[in-house]
Formats: sequence, C-alpha cells, structure tokens
Amino acid sequence: MSRLVKGILTFVVAFAIIFALQQNESVLASDIETDSQEIIEAYDNIRFYSSYNYQTLTEDRLNQLIVDFYVPATYGDVTITWSLTSDFLTLSDNIETISVQSTSGLVDISVYHVSIVKVPTILQGDQVFELVGYFQYQDVSATSSYFGTLVPTIPDTFYGGVLYTFIRYIKLFLEGAALTLGISLVGTVIGFFLALLIVSGKTLTISDFDTSFVRAMKQVLQKISSFYIVLFRGTPMIVQASFFWYGLGLFGDALLCGLFVVSLNTAAYIAEIIRGGINSIESGQTEASKSLGMTRFQTMRYIILPQAIKNSMPAIGNEFVINIKDTAVLSVIGIFELFNQTRKIAGMHYRQLEAYFVVAIIYLVLTYTVTSLLKRVEKRMDLPVKELPSSN
Amino acid sequence: MNEYILQVRNLHKYFAELEVLKGINLDVSKGEIISIIGSSGSGKSTLLRCINFLEQPTQGQIIYHGVNFTERQQDLIDLRKNIAMVFQQFNLFNNLSVIDNLTIAPVKVLHKDKTASKAKAMEILDLVGMKEFAYKNTKLLSGGQKQRVAIARSLMMDPEIILFDEPTSALDPEMVGEVLDVMKNLAQTGITMLIVTHEMQFAREISDRVIFMHEGIVHEEGLPEEIFMHPKETRTQDFLKRVIKG
Ligand SMILES: Nc1ncnc2c1ncn2[C@@H]1O[C@H](COP(=O)(O)OP(=O)(O)O)[C@@H](O)[C@H]1O
Ligand SMILES: [Mg+2]
Repeated sequence: MSRLVKGILTFVVAFAIIFALQQNESVLASDIETDSQEIIEAYDNIRFYSSYNYQTLTEDRLNQLIVDFYVPATYGDVTITWSLTSDFLTLSDNIETISVQSTSGLVDISVYHVSIVKVPTILQGDQVFELVGYFQYQDVSATSSYFGTLVPTIPDTFYGGVLYTFIRYIKLFLEGAALTLGISLVGTVIGFFLALLIVSGKTLTISDFDTSFVRAMKQVLQKISSFYIVLFRGTPMIVQASFFWYGLGLFGDALLCGLFVVSLNTAAYIAEIIRGGINSIESGQTEASKSLGMTRFQTMRYIILPQAIKNSMPAIGNEFVINIKDTAVLSVIGIFELFNQTRKIAGMHYRQLEAYFVVAIIYLVLTYTVTSLLKRVEKRMDLPVKELPSSN
Repeated sequence: MNEYILQVRNLHKYFAELEVLKGINLDVSKGEIISIIGSSGSGKSTLLRCINFLEQPTQGQIIYHGVNFTERQQDLIDLRKNIAMVFQQFNLFNNLSVIDNLTIAPVKVLHKDKTASKAKAMEILDLVGMKEFAYKNTKLLSGGQKQRVAIARSLMMDPEIILFDEPTSALDPEMVGEVLDVMKNLAQTGITMLIVTHEMQFAREISDRVIFMHEGIVHEEGLPEEIFMHPKETRTQDFLKRVIKG
C-alpha cells in the first residue's frame, strides 16, 4: 500500500516539475529592420483577429489560442504575406474578407485564415508556433516573426476532463496542497503547545491549604480553560474564521488569521485529548511521585505529561489529518488553500465535476499518506504498555 | 522530644460517610520493624497512606520527630523526604529507565548531583540484585524485579522510615521470595519499617512488633510470638486460622 502512495506522489511531483519547466515566457514579435515609414507603421498597427466574433487578439491572446484566427493581408498600401509551418495549424492560400469593428464602424479587411487542423492533447501539451510575416511596400520589404501558442482544450469526456484538469492545473493544485499541508501542520503544532497551557489550567487542583487568593486564581483559570474548550469545540471553524477575519479584522493578513483560527481550534481538541491521556495514567505513579516528595508540578512535568503526550500522539496525529480536511473552510476568508484553488480551477472551464473529482483524489492521497506515515512513526515510538490500575 | 520518631494519635479517616479508621494510636521507635496484619478492608492501606498524607486524615495527628504534620501541611515534602513508601503495584515510572526511576527524586527533590546520584543508584541496585538492569526499560521487568527496583527507588532518598503496603501481594508466588529477601536484608540495616503483609511466616521472622487491625481499629498488638502463638482476641484467632489454612 505504501508503495502505491509513493508511486502516486512521485507521479504528482514529476508532473509538477515538467510543467513548471514548460512555462513559456510571454512571446513577443521580433523588431523589424527597415527604413520604410509605411512598413514600420504597418508593423506597429497590424492586428490578428480571432475567428470567434472577429475579436482582436492581443499578443498575449496569441499565446492562449484555442480557435482559428486571421492574419491581415494588407495594411494601407503595404501587402503582407505569411508563412507558417506546424503540424497543428495551416495557413490558407487565398485572401478572405472579414468585417471588424473599429472606431469608424464596421470595416472590411483582407485576411488569411489560420485554421486549427489538430488540437493538441493535454499530454502533447502547449504547441508553440512561429508565424513569419513578409511586409512589402513598392520595392522595400521586411520580415517579422511572431510566436504564438496553441493550447490543449478540455475534452468533453469525463476522464479526458479529469486528466486535463489534473495536468493543466497541477501547479495550482500543488500550491494549494502545500498551503493546506502547511497550515494544518503549523496549526497542529501551535495548537499542541496552546493545548498544554489549557490543560494546565483545566487540571489545576485546589488544595485545602491554598490561600483564598490562590484558590480564587485557580478557579478563574479553570473556568477560563473550560470555557475556551466549550467555545471552540462548540462553534464551527467557518464561523470562527469569519468572526476573526471579517468581524474583528485581525492581523490584516488572511493567512495569518487562518493559521490563528486553526491553531486556536486545534488547541481545544488537543487539550481534551491530552486531558484524557493524563486521566489514563494510573494514579499509582502520581502517588509514588508524591511519596518521593515531588511537587505536583514536578510530577506532571517529569512523570505524567511525558506519558500522557506519548499516549496521545496517535490522536494528535489524527487532529493533523482532520485539519488537512477542515482547513478547506478557510476559503471563506480568501486563503487559496487546496479547496479554494479548486474553486478557481473549476470556474475556468465551468467543469465542476472534473475539478472536484481531482481535488477529492488529492485530499485522499494527502490524508492517506499522512496517516500511514504517522502510523509508522507510532510503531517506531513503541507506545508504553498500560498496567492494571492499582487496587488500593 | 520523646523517644518515638513517629506517633499516630487518635487517627480517624472517613471516606464520605464511611469511617475507615476509627481512632488509631501508634508509636514507632527508631529502627523498629512493625508488621500490620488484618483482613482485607480493615483499613491497613488507609493507615499507611495517612501517615505520608497520600490520604488526608479526617481527624487526629501524625507526629514525626515531634512535629505535628496535620497542622504543617506546607512542609509535607519534608515529611515525605524521610518517609518512603513501597506499593503493592510497584508504581514505577513507565517513561523512565530503571536508573532514572531511582535518580529522579534525589535530583529533583533533594537537588543532588546527577552523576553522584547515578553512582549511588548503581550501588543500591547492586544491593537488590538489579544492577545489570539499570539501563533497561521498566516494562521489560518481571513483577519481582519491578518491586526490587521500587524498593531501591525508595532507598535513594535515605529515608528514616519505609512504609510497605503489601509489597508481595501482586507477585506470582515464585517471585515472592526474592522481594522478601531484599526486605530481610534491609531490616538488618536498622532502618524503620512498617509492613502491611499477608506473609505471616515472614512477619513472624522479621518483626519486632505485630499489629492486628480489624474494622478500623488496632484490635491487638504485641510481640510476634504473642500474636501468632497466643493471640488473646477471638477475631485475631479467627483471622490467623483463616490465613494460615490458606
Ligand atoms: N479512596 C477511597 N474512597 C472510598 N473508600 C475507600 C477508599 N480507599 C479505601 N476505601 C475503603 O476503605 C476501607 C479500607 O480500605 P483499605 O485501607 O484499603 O483496607 P485494607 O488495605 O486493609 O484492605 C475499604 O472498605 C475500602 O473500600
Ligand atoms: Mg490494602
């Protein structure tokens, strides 16, 4: 089973690296070299048009092509001819006329048609092509290269859509997953230390010999700890996040605020786990410790807590796994963790099913991997065998 | 000052409505070995636990070297430094190795030097025959070994008195001997011992005095010969008949 997990992880990481490397910088046309004013003006002003409503394609849109487009055959008195060699695109030989919107209303312009003959699959990836324009005015001519990218489109089938979504947006998914894991891990660690404080408050014992001031202080601390636990376990994290971020406007940084909320929330749960762990240590060890003259604090610090924490480790690890799933609610305060990234991705092609299917798998891989890693660590840690409780 | 190092005066203990100790008086001299016998539920453990305040006495006095600790609770640690306890269930610290079980209290309570404490721990472990287990995990030990370590741990504080609460009752029969042997050796050193036990033969051999408890009172006490051979009280006779028949 762990082999499977390793396999999947390797696959994901490999894809992330490949696609990170494939990222194109914005491709611009090369500068033209000529003295002809007419040609320079043509060069500066020609536009490409999308076959979709004859929209003007900006340089950038030429890099995101998914439909046919047109290249101008003339500009003023300059004639322009084109050449393009690609497995995926062809350039028509004859000139067509299209009507495009301009400031002076509809104007007819002469164009060549560049049509997509083959759509690259997601596995083939983006296809960069070079379009060379020959500008001719009287007996002056100049050439200019334009680069564009034909990108794969999302297939209509479910599996095609899933594969497409996964590969095309792996970087976004991984960014989200990294954030999710980071917030969950850091939140669990901070929550753990906060939990120690809360547990200390909650397990304070009032002795008959405390002064009334000490007694009152202990009672207040106990009440605060109990209230804290009730409050954070009794309200949804989405409400806590909204309260601190939108309500109080804490931190001014959503990520910090989210980390704060997860830590406070986790602390309440881990406090209860550790308290259970403390209660599960036989009272005999506490008595032995007392009988040796150790104080309550020393007993906790050196005897009880180390065992309680060790015994609580599986449950604390489980809180980490729960956090991986529950941090999805932080999308409500605008953190782009895994779930929120997915919402963004789903919106790009209006293909919700595929996007949420992919993210479900990613969440599963994360939780399963973390769970099996924790299990291994637990085995290594060799949890102590519990003895029978003392009978007297 | 008087000759007794420990005095229990009119000790009463209630658990809610239940009166478990009904006015116990007990004087202990230095070096004395006292066995406490009696049927289950008669309050033997509660008596020992009240002496080092693991239970709060409801009424009465625990006087150690003339100091009434029922009124000096803030100084309890001073009492416990000098009165050690060995439990039926051993109560070793499960998170610590054998040697750390021994050194933790001297280091943390008496602020002794760690290296010196370790050296001392090795000597005491040698005394109870557990030297080669010093760096072992306690859970690898048998019951008898655990109890010997527990005794060693109590000795680390150089206590004046050790309270034993049925130290062999949780052991398999074949391990009882090794623990009793350690206690017999200990008795030779002049340390004061209060031993709750069901090992009648052992009690008879080791004790200077035997106390029979019944329903929260000291029903009969005397020299081992008197109690075991010529008990005066019928309840003592009944009890001994029962336990010796087995
Ligand atoms: N913590 C406690 N709470 C309530 N009752 C207790 C407690 N400890 C002991 N008892 C009761 O006190 C009585 C005497 O107990 P104990 O001192 O353990 O007797 P022994 O050690 O002689 O068997 C028993 O009836 C027991 O149930
Ligand atoms: Mg008992």
